[in-house]
Amino acid sequence: MRVYQHGGSLTRQRGAEVEDWSWNSTRRRLGVLWRLTKPYRLRTFFSVFSLLAATATALAPPFLAKYALDDAINDTTGEKLVLVVAIFVAAGLANWGMNYVETYMTGWVGERILADLRKQLFGHLQKLSLGFYERNRAGVLISRMTNDVEAIDQLVTDGVTVLAQSTLTLGGTAVLLFVLDWQLALATLAVIPLMSVGTVLFRVRSARAYAAVRERLGLVTATLAEDIAGMRMVQAFVREQRATENFRAVAGRYRDANMQTVVLNALYFPFVSFLATLALAVVLGYGGHLYFAGAISLGTLFAFMLYVNNFFDPVQQLSQLYNTFLSAAAALDKIIGLLDEPPEVVDRPGARPLGRIEGEVRFEDVHFAYGLRGGELGDEVLHGIDLDVPAGTTVALVGHTGAGKSTIAKLLARFYEPTSGRIAIDGGDLNDVTQESLRHQLGIVPQEGFLFAGTVAENIAFGRPEARPEDIVRAAKTVGAHEFILRLEDGYETQLGERGSRLSLGQRQLVAFARALLADPRILILDEATSSVDIGTERTIERALRTLLADRTSFVIAHRLSTIRDADLIVVLEHGQVIEQGSHDELLARRGLYTSLYGDWAAA
Amino acid sequence: MSAVPYRRTFARLLSFLRPYKRGLVISIVLAIGSQAAQIALIWVTGRGVIDQALVDRDTTQLWLYVGAIAGLGLASSVMMLGRRLISGKQALDVEMDMRQGIYSHLVRLSFGFYDRHQTGQLMSRATVDLQGVRFFLGYGLIFFFQNILTVASVTVVLFFFEWRLALVVLAVTPFIVGIAYRYSHVAHPTLRDVQQKLADVATVSEENIVGVHVVKAFAQEPAEEEKFRGRNEALFAQTIRANRQRATYVPLLSFVPLLAQAAVLLVGARMVAHGTLTVGSFVSFNLYLALLVMPLRSLGMWIGQAQRATASGERIFQVLDEPEEIADKPAAGELPPGDGEIRFENVSFSYLQGRPVLEDVDLALDAGTTLALIGHTGSGKTTLASLVPRFYDVDTGRVLVDGVDVRDVTLASLRREIGVIPQDPFLFSTTVRENISFGRAEMTDAEIERVARLAQAHEFVERLPQGYDTVIGERGITLSGGQRQRIAIARALAVDPRILILDDATASVDATTEAQIRAGLREVMSGRTTLIVAHRLSTIALADEIVVVDDGRIAARGTHDELFEKSFVYREIYDHGLLERQFADAVEARGDVEEVA
Repeated sequence: MRVYQHGGSLTRQRGAEVEDWSWNSTRRRLGVLWRLTKPYRLRTFFSVFSLLAATATALAPPFLAKYALDDAINDTTGEKLVLVVAIFVAAGLANWGMNYVETYMTGWVGERILADLRKQLFGHLQKLSLGFYERNRAGVLISRMTNDVEAIDQLVTDGVTVLAQSTLTLGGTAVLLFVLDWQLALATLAVIPLMSVGTVLFRVRSARAYAAVRERLGLVTATLAEDIAGMRMVQAFVREQRATENFRAVAGRYRDANMQTVVLNALYFPFVSFLATLALAVVLGYGGHLYFAGAISLGTLFAFMLYVNNFFDPVQQLSQLYNTFLSAAAALDKIIGLLDEPPEVVDRPGARPLGRIEGEVRFEDVHFAYGLRGGELGDEVLHGIDLDVPAGTTVALVGHTGAGKSTIAKLLARFYEPTSGRIAIDGGDLNDVTQESLRHQLGIVPQEGFLFAGTVAENIAFGRPEARPEDIVRAAKTVGAHEFILRLEDGYETQLGERGSRLSLGQRQLVAFARALLADPRILILDEATSSVDIGTERTIERALRTLLADRTSFVIAHRLSTIRDADLIVVLEHGQVIEQGSHDELLARRGLYTSLYGDWAAA
Repeated sequence: MSAVPYRRTFARLLSFLRPYKRGLVISIVLAIGSQAAQIALIWVTGRGVIDQALVDRDTTQLWLYVGAIAGLGLASSVMMLGRRLISGKQALDVEMDMRQGIYSHLVRLSFGFYDRHQTGQLMSRATVDLQGVRFFLGYGLIFFFQNILTVASVTVVLFFFEWRLALVVLAVTPFIVGIAYRYSHVAHPTLRDVQQKLADVATVSEENIVGVHVVKAFAQEPAEEEKFRGRNEALFAQTIRANRQRATYVPLLSFVPLLAQAAVLLVGARMVAHGTLTVGSFVSFNLYLALLVMPLRSLGMWIGQAQRATASGERIFQVLDEPEEIADKPAAGELPPGDGEIRFENVSFSYLQGRPVLEDVDLALDAGTTLALIGHTGSGKTTLASLVPRFYDVDTGRVLVDGVDVRDVTLASLRREIGVIPQDPFLFSTTVRENISFGRAEMTDAEIERVARLAQAHEFVERLPQGYDTVIGERGITLSGGQRQRIAIARALAVDPRILILDDATASVDATTEAQIRAGLREVMSGRTTLIVAHRLSTIALADEIVVVDDGRIAARGTHDELFEKSFVYREIYDHGLLERQFADAVEARGDVEEVA
């Protein structure tokens, strides 16, 4: 589906590098596309058939016009003329019908394939492990789902049709011209090489020029976006004039780049139009001679003129396709690459669902190293962690960035598997159970409380979509989020915008708490936020935390002194090892690392 | 949209073309010339080549006419080339004018405007809407004119050749224009909806990818797939709707002209047979007909385009018509020299009418002193500070700097004397150097380094890959909250202001850095009047005096010890939270230090 987009196509950069044109990879690409059409073979057949029929019927009118004219000149009864015109109309009607079927069917199959491809991609993304997401930037993955699929979209829906139709039209016209008169056909087609050279030259240059335009328009947009976002600073520092001048310069460079395309278009399109006239002149001049010699009729001459009129569109359209084709092939390669990516953490054969757990957690000599791109292991980040956490304990993980706090949390959620050692819940090895059953009993609260676009209620019920409205409200009330939610314009039905952007940081955290609470996990993993919120919210959050942590095993990557102080067990980590563990008082009494960290503030 | 404002908006859009009258006239003349050559060319084909040269079997004549055709084609192409160059350049100029017009207006709009409008909204006016308008003003109008010209002139010529045949042709033209217009009309909302649905799908996948931790943590992969499936199918359904519209209209648009052609063929050939029409005229007539089809189709499209461009224009004008709320008075003079004394007299202020944020605030700051404003979120402390650089105008009362009402002096002279360090230290994606010298572009390297040292920024800037020439935000170079704040401090110092306004950052800065910043601030505050909007205990310690703002009023004023005695709000703020944050910072700071080491 080619969609009219204001400037969207201009700002989007699209890489069109395809390194590998070997037969094997080409076959693989085609194979993927072929498999996608598989469920829709009948429709695909209809679409191909109607395409052939539509092209054929479109070629008929000039040919028929020849008979109409010759008939008018030679036969005054006009019976044949009525027949010819009747065929003419019939061909038109058939063309209309076939065009309808072709447009609809090709569009349908194309869009269906794309929808399937998107679904397949998304489904595959759900299966991939966290390690994959940490090695690949989110932007790149998002681009697979959007830009790359769209690049294929252009080829599948529009490109294929144009390719087939233009090629058939060109070939068909040439054949018909030869059928009409081979000598005149040869003379007329002489302009084609000229046209082709001109077109290729134009395409190459204009592709370059448009790339420059896109790049500079991107700069205009970026400058504008930043200046609007920073307008307060521009005004506070009296930079209005300089900013305006700067913007003028950026916009000016964009205009200059665009002028290139204006010049190229101004040269090319009149050139093509002149070639068309030239072809007409050839038809008339040489055709006239052939007519004098009695080799052709006036009707033939007439048909030639009409064909020449329509001859130049397919050449131009074909040349436009080249880029579409390259982009699509490049995009397809990237998508195939993603689909070939195997998930790292998979359920073992015979893995059993984890029954309802108490929440006792043991780490036994756990070592861990992150996998790198290409399957090798990186440096070890955990060196033999031993933890024994009775059910219901609140554990505070303390240590500086990179000490291994969040790695421990991720291993517990089995986002990764230990390289050696073992993690057990209620005595059973984590690797022997299914991931889904484990995570259903696990709640994770990320640092800044990541929320999804959707209503407040949907976000709270994220972990338990079947929750009743009163459960949702109860969870919100328990964490103290109910009040501010009611103040939103649609209460629980308020749309939160992308990533919950409508809410403040503190509010997002509270909603994330409610979400975790509603899921009622046996084990909770919580990454405390570091950025500060205002004092009122701070207090609510503190209270909510206490509720949330009660009666379940909790691992908190802690930043708040109160959280750490209240924890049953404080685990001090450094360089992937447990340095100290114990309660607040025990650790203070030991006068170790914890004391040195805490001591600065104990007196304050 | 009613007809009159619609027409007025349209006229106003056209006024953007006024500076380019000359180019416009030349374009039109060239377009007419090129068109005339095309018409003549077909004329020569029929009446010349066929009716004379071929009928007379005259080779010389034949070559003469063929030569004329090639000549006319060349002339037409050359004029077309000239027309394209001129109108293309003009289109770009108009676009530039509009873009620049919007920008220079945006620069003058006040803080209040930016509070009310989101960046995204404004961006869409300045990009999407502008695009719609510029295509129409730049290319659309010319094409529109050219199409009308073609249709009109060819129709006249058709009547001249054979009026009965021309009537046949004329009968189908309204259908072609109508169908094309109708298609453009129905397709546009459908396609816009396709875009919307595409964006929905993109949002779901984007959030799924960015929020993958949450999805996996709650084992919600199946639900996510279901959600995606829903959006994906909705997108499919919508594209199919668009597809069906295309299948309905586009083939029809090829079919209708064919009917005219068939009629001309039937009637024309009969006339040729009866000798009432020459073969040449018949041929010319058919060629003219082919010339007519494309412009007729485009005409319908352009009418739709014009409507949308006008709607876009309307949205752009909304921004352009937005009044400059805060502007220099006609007789505004420069801010006279002074030491930076600030006085609020009976100041009341509200963002929205009837919802006062500040009420009857009286507050005086002696030159050279430091005052910390504290209070709960929403108490009005940030607002109070924003009134000094006149980011907003008071509803009643006055704000005086060195005894002069801020509304009586020029904005530039006032703001040059005030250094602002905002809560969110917004930096621009350019070099560190340019960010620091943002308010005073002519600074020397030595001066920049001096203020960076004062703001405790020099050390870490030196360690950046290209030092002061490092571009912020490029190639993954991101600065921590504390680093950004220090650059913002340096930026404020660079203008050497009488008055400093510091809105304490919420981003966490580690304790060591905070101590450094504090030391730096103490130095830079000496000799300046400083207003601190404080969120942390440590910043309060910098102030000579503290003012507690509560619910839009001054609740208390005094030193720490005085307030601790008499102000409940102060005690509450003091007791809570602030200490604990610092512990977390200390823990993080250790990490930072070790990572660097």
